[in-house]
Amino acid sequence: MEITWEDGNRITYSAEQLRWACPCAECRGEMGAPGRLSRVKTLIPEELSIKDVTLVGQYALQIAFESGHATGIYTFPYLRALRS
Amino acid sequence: MALPSSQQILAVLSHIQDPDLGRDVVSLGMIKELEVSHEGKVSFTFELTTPACPVRDRFKSQAQDLVGEIPGVTGVDVRMTANVRPAFMRPKPSEILPGVKQTIAVASGKGGVGKSTVAVNLAAALRKSGAEVGLLDADIYGPSIPAMTGSRQVPEQVNGRLRPIEAHGLKLMSFGHIYPGDQPTIYRGPMVGKAIEAMMIQVDWGQLDYLVIDLPPGTGDASLTLAQAVPLTGVAIVCTPQDVATDIAVKALQMFRKLNVTPLGLIENMSWYICPSCGHRHEIFSHGGAESAAKRLGVPFLGAVPLEEGIREDADNGTPVVISRPDSAGAKAFVHIASQVAARTSIQSFRQLPVINVH
Repeated sequence: MEITWEDGNRITYSAEQLRWACPCAECRGEMGAPGRLSRVKTLIPEELSIKDVTLVGQYALQIAFESGHATGIYTFPYLRALRS
Repeated sequence: MALPSSQQILAVLSHIQDPDLGRDVVSLGMIKELEVSHEGKVSFTFELTTPACPVRDRFKSQAQDLVGEIPGVTGVDVRMTANVRPAFMRPKPSEILPGVKQTIAVASGKGGVGKSTVAVNLAAALRKSGAEVGLLDADIYGPSIPAMTGSRQVPEQVNGRLRPIEAHGLKLMSFGHIYPGDQPTIYRGPMVGKAIEAMMIQVDWGQLDYLVIDLPPGTGDASLTLAQAVPLTGVAIVCTPQDVATDIAVKALQMFRKLNVTPLGLIENMSWYICPSCGHRHEIFSHGGAESAAKRLGVPFLGAVPLEEGIREDADNGTPVVISRPDSAGAKAFVHIASQVAARTSIQSFRQLPVINVH
């Protein structure tokens, strides 16, 4: 996935990188409970390929993976801070 | 004498700067259908980005004067029109509100400051300027738009979609239309979100220049759903002047900033009161609180509305004050605010969102 920002800056992300950066509660953990991504070492290929990307309002992207996982809402500031 | 060329005319017109967009009107593509007759008569269309443009008259006289001074010009005919541009270059055609060009939310954080009154009059003032306007009442628990617009009919269903209610030239939809009467809506948060989404997706809004959305108080479910479901052009924040109100308004504003929704500015309601018997000006809730908060936060101050019995009376009778008493101070304040809001939304149509490509 490639994002061209308002200032012309362009950042390319791999699906794998985005999957491991998923900010959702299940992946990240919440209220002291560790998330799934801190427990697993590997992910199957369906989890690492992007099925669809939708705009959330105008502040974030929702990324759906082939595995059906789509609960992560990636805000633009978060994506901007995410570097390959 | 030689006839003036189109280049000459465009060159002088490019001296007119749009104060809000910060560029000249020629490069913004506002000058159209430019013609010069054999007798040296110049005619063109001046297409504004909103019919409620605050500098409309100034633009017209500036254009007339500048072109009139070119040697060889015997007459100038300027046709003023407006074409509201869509808020953003959307990545793909939107399934939600496809025919709506600009969505303007009216929020406050705190309750009871006059959000609905402002929303109704803002919508009515934009309509009066010639725009196609809709008004969505996103206050599920306390819908007040039906009463304020004198529209209490139940919406018709056509092909499984609801037709908006028409009143005062506006297209309206409120939970108060769908469930009239005195029965309360007892919903938990997620249901509120669904109800608001349904009012956007299942209502046939058609083609609109502006959809004004009257939000409930608070910085929770309703505002979040809205900010996630549609790319809002911007949000106008209403507050009353006293500290206890402006503090909460600031919280609402900061929430929208976090969601990347542009604050169009602050509106101060109940700003002053002229006593009908003594003629004195009273500042019951203090004065100028919103303006100083706007300055502090670096957002525009859109205007102040007085506390007037007429505004309340007409709202209870179902006619917005900008229609029923256009010469009152309150109505004038609302018209001024509407043109400020329209100008700020025009700026948004030139704003870009990040472009996303998936390979």
